[in-house]
Amino acid sequence: MKISSIFILSISSLFILACNSEPRKLPILGSREPVEKTVDGKTVVDTIYQTIPAFSFMNQDSAIINNDSLKNSIYVADFFFTSCPSICPIMSKNLLTVYEKYKGNPEVRFLSHTIDPKYDTIPVLKKYADKLGVKGTQWSFLLGSKDSVYLLAKNGYMSYSKENDSIPGGYEHSGYFLLVDKDKRIRGAYDGTDKDQVAQMSKDMDVLLSEYHPK
Amino acid sequence: MRKTIVSVSFLLLTAAIFFSACVNEDSIKYQRYYSDGLDVYKIHCQNCHMDDGKGLAGLIPPLTDTTFLKLNRKMLASYIVYGLEDTIKIHCIEYEGKMPAEKHLASIDLAKLLTYVTNSFGNKQGIFDVKEVEKNLNDYIKANN
Ligand code: HEC
Repeated sequence: MKISSIFILSISSLFILACNSEPRKLPILGSREPVEKTVDGKTVVDTIYQTIPAFSFMNQDSAIINNDSLKNSIYVADFFFTSCPSICPIMSKNLLTVYEKYKGNPEVRFLSHTIDPKYDTIPVLKKYADKLGVKGTQWSFLLGSKDSVYLLAKNGYMSYSKENDSIPGGYEHSGYFLLVDKDKRIRGAYDGTDKDQVAQMSKDMDVLLSEYHPK
Repeated sequence: MRKTIVSVSFLLLTAAIFFSACVNEDSIKYQRYYSDGLDVYKIHCQNCHMDDGKGLAGLIPPLTDTTFLKLNRKMLASYIVYGLEDTIKIHCIEYEGKMPAEKHLASIDLAKLLTYVTNSFGNKQGIFDVKEVEKNLNDYIKANN
């Protein structure tokens, strides 16, 4: 009798502990800077996290996509070009599975930046999206000048990996998926050609979404 | 009489041994082509047609249309060597993409690759020989000159 009640007690405390443990949170990638500011006459140290710089690009339906259009969504960004024979088809295939999972969810968006603006005009991007089975703006294929896309990749999405200058093909063609939160902070980076890493991203997206829906 | 029986059965036996050796050699050759072909596929084709041969949505056709691959068996080598930019129907879906030419594969590698492709993803066409590859490519060149 005594033993079994102890047993039950310890089991239930285990359960309670499990319930109380903090939910998993994704790290915030990139550089951070402590800043001092004054709140109610007291000096406190706040941290400023690196964010994706402002941008404005046109998508496959000639709609403008900029920081503002993304303020209520987390999103996945990547870099590709439609005529790419190497890693892009696999990346698209992998991203397609994630897109299917969140299809119709206004809190989740996908941005694929072309790095070949000369060839990938709006009609070419439109056709690519159609053939992939992508409708609407949830997954936008973005056209911008080569310079602006390169700079955005270098100073925004890929800057978390400054020490890693040796990505073959350069920053903007690294095959990475970058997970960005509603405050434009990078919360994850995944090899878009690797099924397992993409599956991890899909799980992490649920974790990130739960930050905005505390129980 | 006894002598003839002995020699006939001896003959039959050797013939049988030869025959089975032949069959065996064929199946060994097939196995070798098939497994080497998989390596070629991984390097040159898998990026687009995927490891399961299913392709990518409406952009890259799957290699699972056994009827298409049978009907176009003679053309397969030329698709690879000269590329393909056409409107084709695979499983009733139209594809109008562009497959880049892969000029650097030797006939033997093409034979192995095509042995792999035409015997995977639901296809079952048997071995693709080097001679067949070379004949198909020659015919293609003749027809297009
Ligand atoms: C850059 C991407 C790409 C690569 C690499 C590639 N293909 Fe293709 N393949 C395509 C596209 C796109 C088509 C459709 C072309 C069209 O619509 O005219 C195609 C069509 C085909 C077809 C005929 C249609 C079908 O689905 O049966 C075969 C067979 C084929 N490819 C085999 C191969 C083989 C074998 C390799 C490796 C040597 C290869 N492909 C490499 C993109 C690619």
